[in-house]
Amino acid sequence: MSQAILEMRGICKSFAGVQALKDVSFRCQAGLVYGLVGENGAGKSTLMKILAGAYKADAGEIIYKGMPRHSASTGEIIASGISIIYQELALVPQMSVAENIFLGREPRNALGILDLGWLRARAEELLSRLGVTLDTRSPVSELTIAQQQLVEIAKALSQDADLIVMDEPSAILAGGELDQLFAIIAALKAQGVTIVYISHRLEEVFRIADEVTVLKDGEVVDSRPIQQLDRATLVRLMVGRSLEEIFPQTDHAQGELRLSAEGIATDSILDGVSLRLHAGEILGIAGMVGSGRTELARALFGADPLTQGEVRLVGESLQQLPQWKTPSQAIRAGLVLVPEDRKSQGLFTALSVRVNITIPILSRLSRLGIIRRAAEEGIVTGARQRLSIVMNSPDQETQYLSGGNQQKVVLAKWLETEPSVIILDEPTRGVDVGAKFEIYKLMRQLNDRGIAIIMISSELPEIIGMSDRILVMNDGRVAGEISRAEADEERIIELATLGAEAQSA
Amino acid sequence: MNALGGILNAGTGGRVQFLRRNGPVIMVYAFILLLVFIGATQSERFLSERNLANVARQSAFLGIVALGQMLVILTAGIDLSVGSLVKVSILVSAIVMNGESANVLPAILATLALGVLVGMIHGFLINELRIAPFIVTLASLVILKGIGLTISSSPVGKASREVMMFYVQKVGPLPVIALMFFMLVILTMLLLRYTVFGKHLVAVGGNIEVAHLSGVPVKRTRYAVYVLCSLTAAVTGLLWLSRMGVGDPAIGDGIELQTITAVIIGGTSLFGGRASVLGTLGGVLLLGISANLLVMLGVSQFIQGLIQGIIIVAAVALYKQEGD
Repeated sequence: MSQAILEMRGICKSFAGVQALKDVSFRCQAGLVYGLVGENGAGKSTLMKILAGAYKADAGEIIYKGMPRHSASTGEIIASGISIIYQELALVPQMSVAENIFLGREPRNALGILDLGWLRARAEELLSRLGVTLDTRSPVSELTIAQQQLVEIAKALSQDADLIVMDEPSAILAGGELDQLFAIIAALKAQGVTIVYISHRLEEVFRIADEVTVLKDGEVVDSRPIQQLDRATLVRLMVGRSLEEIFPQTDHAQGELRLSAEGIATDSILDGVSLRLHAGEILGIAGMVGSGRTELARALFGADPLTQGEVRLVGESLQQLPQWKTPSQAIRAGLVLVPEDRKSQGLFTALSVRVNITIPILSRLSRLGIIRRAAEEGIVTGARQRLSIVMNSPDQETQYLSGGNQQKVVLAKWLETEPSVIILDEPTRGVDVGAKFEIYKLMRQLNDRGIAIIMISSELPEIIGMSDRILVMNDGRVAGEISRAEADEERIIELATLGAEAQSA
Repeated sequence: MNALGGILNAGTGGRVQFLRRNGPVIMVYAFILLLVFIGATQSERFLSERNLANVARQSAFLGIVALGQMLVILTAGIDLSVGSLVKVSILVSAIVMNGESANVLPAILATLALGVLVGMIHGFLINELRIAPFIVTLASLVILKGIGLTISSSPVGKASREVMMFYVQKVGPLPVIALMFFMLVILTMLLLRYTVFGKHLVAVGGNIEVAHLSGVPVKRTRYAVYVLCSLTAAVTGLLWLSRMGVGDPAIGDGIELQTITAVIIGGTSLFGGRASVLGTLGGVLLLGISANLLVMLGVSQFIQGLIQGIIIVAAVALYKQEGD
């Protein structure tokens, strides 16, 4: 075995008496890609935060580049060549690409004046090492998320990083952007940089990792070269449940029409989208980030005003319900949206589970504006049991729940409004495999009750595994519709990237 | 961070959350006790019934507006105009009343209508024109102050005899005005705890986008909260008339900052979504008692400002430590 660049041995860490990491050992050789997988709360982030110096381990040792590391500041750790790229990118939106890369380490000339020429030249050089071209003068806020991530990687390189940890880098990327990220990881690997790649998505791990370490409940379950693993084994190691159970299948006949949209357009990218949705079906919406998927969801829900076209819900006896203009009217009509970004659109993170679940139905739970506590309590207790939401109490703030439980709270909130149509935008983003399975199962149960679901997702296996029909969006339009029988990844990617041309080809 | 929060919560979450929520409140009341102790030992007049009644009354003057301010801050807004509105309210009510008993009701109605109008204008500018509450109410502060000084730069109008008597009326040892404030405190607590409107205020302040997407009537909630806040200022203007007997244009300056101070040291988040009525009450009492005590002890006005500033920083700094 060749020289290890990093060895973490017997790391233990507990928070307020709860053991988050138990005797964890993790070893990296220079120039390889390590997949670090496990469910939320398995301890991946804690381990990496100890590596980054954000937390101090209770026990264990870290040997980096052959030297035992004792307490070091985060600054010293970065200087020693370890960089961590978190999911929430740490860039200043108003500053340029070059300024962000060298933030805090700006080169100055003798007079103390910023050397902008050098700054840009160096930034361009770093980006070219990654094989990308970006205007280093443009402010970061004008870049796509994927480009911003590149800036973060360039920033890590500018600090001469030998070891880069990427915490769920794909969570914010769409299909095509992922390929670019992988190309960059390959390029970095070729340059001798070690990568630790944290992800929920097993496909990605299989594509790029050389070795995979599985964490579960704060312990290393297994650590193996990728050649010795297959998908099914990895899933079993992570959750103790086999792959076949992930996408629950039920047979159900397509019901009557529930929702129709005719040629809808908004001020944003959306440009003449029509769709029909039937009771008890899941309509999958695929497409790249920026293809108009989220805009479609918002337009259907009344969150963004329509400039053209109309959306109608069809009621029980097939009569059309009046059109809505605001989310609150949509909710009353029976249409709800579980938004893509849970933390900024779906949840009141600083408020209790109770408030989060009951907020849309308070008027139903109150008399003369005064909330009936018993009714409220009943709703919250019921939701907690039905969706098996893990929480300390209904008064717990939702920011302290795991991603999966947060998503269940958002779902519970909407289910209580008794909708006939639910739009789910990225329903399993940032949710661990176990909770994912529960959410899929729940979606099927809702179908069985006749509820129609629109599911937007960037994860192709999820789209293919769950959808009865798939609409592929491209550039604000529907590029094509694929039935369940003919759904495969190539077909979807083809439509998503080439658009309508692909159909004629 | 999330993992840490989750773990912390699993173990001692209850205690951590309790401290984070109630730390400021406990801290403020500890400060008050300290001040009362100093007052009791350093000045024989401090604990006299007369002085305590004064403190209670003065606290009520600040406290009623502070409750309105707290509700606005709870929605992640702010109302900088309350001081100027108190000023215009005392002038308008004094002029309309003009010393006549028969004009009391018209004067009260006119003043309350003024409060509703100002609140509606704030709501309109914030909701429909999407101007930041800080800017809207800053403009309002300047404009209302200008209107006040245009109406008169010297005392005008007159309160009727009943209105002047109202100031000194007591139920037992308690001034009616203080009782009124106390009842508003209870009502505000009930509002936040048990009503749909209360939850909507929290939701709007917690995250306006989530509130909108959850079907909360965001605009209506914001109209209502700015109207309520302006109403508390109008009522306070009326109380000032009862105290001064005339429409004194010197009244009102600085109330906006005092109310914001009281709300913040009581642990209400300036970023919205979290408010504490008990904390605001504590903040009001702390400001009232410290001002009273410093006068009692003969401390000069400049030093008074300095000490109050230190109290604010100390209170906020201490509970920040608790929270982290």
